[in-house]
Amino acid sequence: MSVEIDWTAFLLVFVAALVGAAAVVSLYALGLRMLVRAGRVPVVSPAEFTDAITVVSEKEIRHAAKQAAKAARKSPLTAGQKNLAFLAALACFVLCGAAVLGGILIIVIGH
Amino acid sequence: METAALVVVLVIALALFFDFTNGFHDTANAMATPIATGALKPKTAVLLAALLNLVGAFLSTEVAKTVSGGIVNEGDIPHDLLPQLIFAGLIGAITWNMLTWLLGLPSSSSHALFGGLIGATLVGFGVAGINFGVVLSKVVLPALIAPLTAGLIAFAATKVAYGITRRYDGKPDGRSGFRWGQIFTSSMVALAHGTNDAQKTMGVITLALITVGWQTGDPDSEHFHNPEFWVIVACAFTIALGTYLGGWRIIRTLGKGLTEVKPAQGFAAESSTAATILASSAFGFALSTTQVASGSVIGSGLGRRGSVVRWRTAGRIAIGWLLTLPAAGAVGAFAALFVMWFQNWGVLIDAVIALVVIVGLFLRSRKNAVNSANAMSDVAESGHVVDLPDVPGPTRRTSRIELMRALERAERKADEAERAARRAKKLKKAGGTPGEIKAARKAAQRAAQKYAEAEQASQEWEALSASRRARAKLAEWDLAIDDQEGAR
Repeated sequence: MSVEIDWTAFLLVFVAALVGAAAVVSLYALGLRMLVRAGRVPVVSPAEFTDAITVVSEKEIRHAAKQAAKAARKSPLTAGQKNLAFLAALACFVLCGAAVLGGILIIVIGH
Repeated sequence: METAALVVVLVIALALFFDFTNGFHDTANAMATPIATGALKPKTAVLLAALLNLVGAFLSTEVAKTVSGGIVNEGDIPHDLLPQLIFAGLIGAITWNMLTWLLGLPSSSSHALFGGLIGATLVGFGVAGINFGVVLSKVVLPALIAPLTAGLIAFAATKVAYGITRRYDGKPDGRSGFRWGQIFTSSMVALAHGTNDAQKTMGVITLALITVGWQTGDPDSEHFHNPEFWVIVACAFTIALGTYLGGWRIIRTLGKGLTEVKPAQGFAAESSTAATILASSAFGFALSTTQVASGSVIGSGLGRRGSVVRWRTAGRIAIGWLLTLPAAGAVGAFAALFVMWFQNWGVLIDAVIALVVIVGLFLRSRKNAVNSANAMSDVAESGHVVDLPDVPGPTRRTSRIELMRALERAERKADEAERAARRAKKLKKAGGTPGEIKAARKAAQRAAQKYAEAEQASQEWEALSASRRARAKLAEWDLAIDDQEGAR
């Protein structure tokens, strides 16, 4: 009984998953970074304060929103630079979505 | 033939029931992290997971082909008893699945299914009935490699997410924005789950249809093992229904287990889980989504600064995972023995035993009413593998920056102290008033004190980088001592 194992397939899965996850995470994180640079720091409160949420309290969220507004006021960038950073953030988010859709399309077409 | 047809109908019903329990058992794992970080409300998360499982089931059929045309050598063995043995295998899978679910043991629906199928076939046809090449390359090796792969990717992704968004000036970093992203990535995990898990049931039903000649198409064609469209639709809707009705029931451990997951970490973990499952599905690897999601949660936890592995907890989970395949195989083999001894009556005995077990477990589970407010997931258990400090130490770059700041401050204060001392001397020579001289001396003393403080701070920052490793080692020892005390 001979058992043949396609090790290349394992390597391909690892590389494809690594590239896919790294692209999505990098682009999204870069998008957030650009949003912060544009003076639009996202402060997203938890959808529901269940038992699980010990990460942020409502008071902390209010404090974070205040800090974000203060940082935006003190930003040394010009309005043009801020707009550019905002556009770059949007481009990152769009590319991130495109990377996901592309990955799904590869699977569907391959199928 | 009529009996065989009846058995195949029973197999389809049981396979769909398995699909339902799979949705019930596994899919909440997709939504564990977004609920833990508050990205989604539990009820919204479950509804989204159900819808995306439905869509995901239509994306690919590679895994179904692995199950229907690879694991069992259906071409080389007589088909007389195969439907009955598939039935016995399903009984093994469902019984083991429900047992582990009720006892709270780490398990995997997928491995339970493969274990049951392999165990029953081994009893019926011996080693000739199993294609060990496919079992090894498409089931066993992916089972061992996939959680590690997902963990490694999640580790790297977490480092990237934190690295890109880190700020050294103390201003807001916007990381709570990862909560929006989590809605997106957890949806991808649900989609990936539908793509991989619903196909396993499609594969089993297709295998049963082939044994009685109900599968359409040319047996020599490479598309012969593709599931029929009605099979895809039935499996997709069943797993979605299972997810919707039971999803929030399983999210219970979240309240205790995943409290440490932060949005950036959850985002990285989910991206890694979705990417690993989707890439594997494209290659026909039948994975356990629970294990991949758990691997990602552990990997992303380790990607955070100052985290330490609790090896004892990790070992317990790993043993649970490794046990699933042989344990479900043993239950499947036991059920297959009745089929071998009593033929069709054996199927009836198996069905009665399974019914008793399932009803018993169901009634037992009713005692602990679970709802969306206290639901849990298996993945949460893996959250305990990593111990995270309440306040992680500074990064190397932060230490360097702080060190430079402290040195600059020390230099500035030294200059100030010198200038103030010189001024005091000048005033004394020039015959300044005693008040002026006293004030200048005081200023020199204050500056000298500030200089000493800054100098001390710089030494502390310097020492911190050297002591980082020592502190990590101490934390490991503390955990080891805790584990030993827990064992006693």
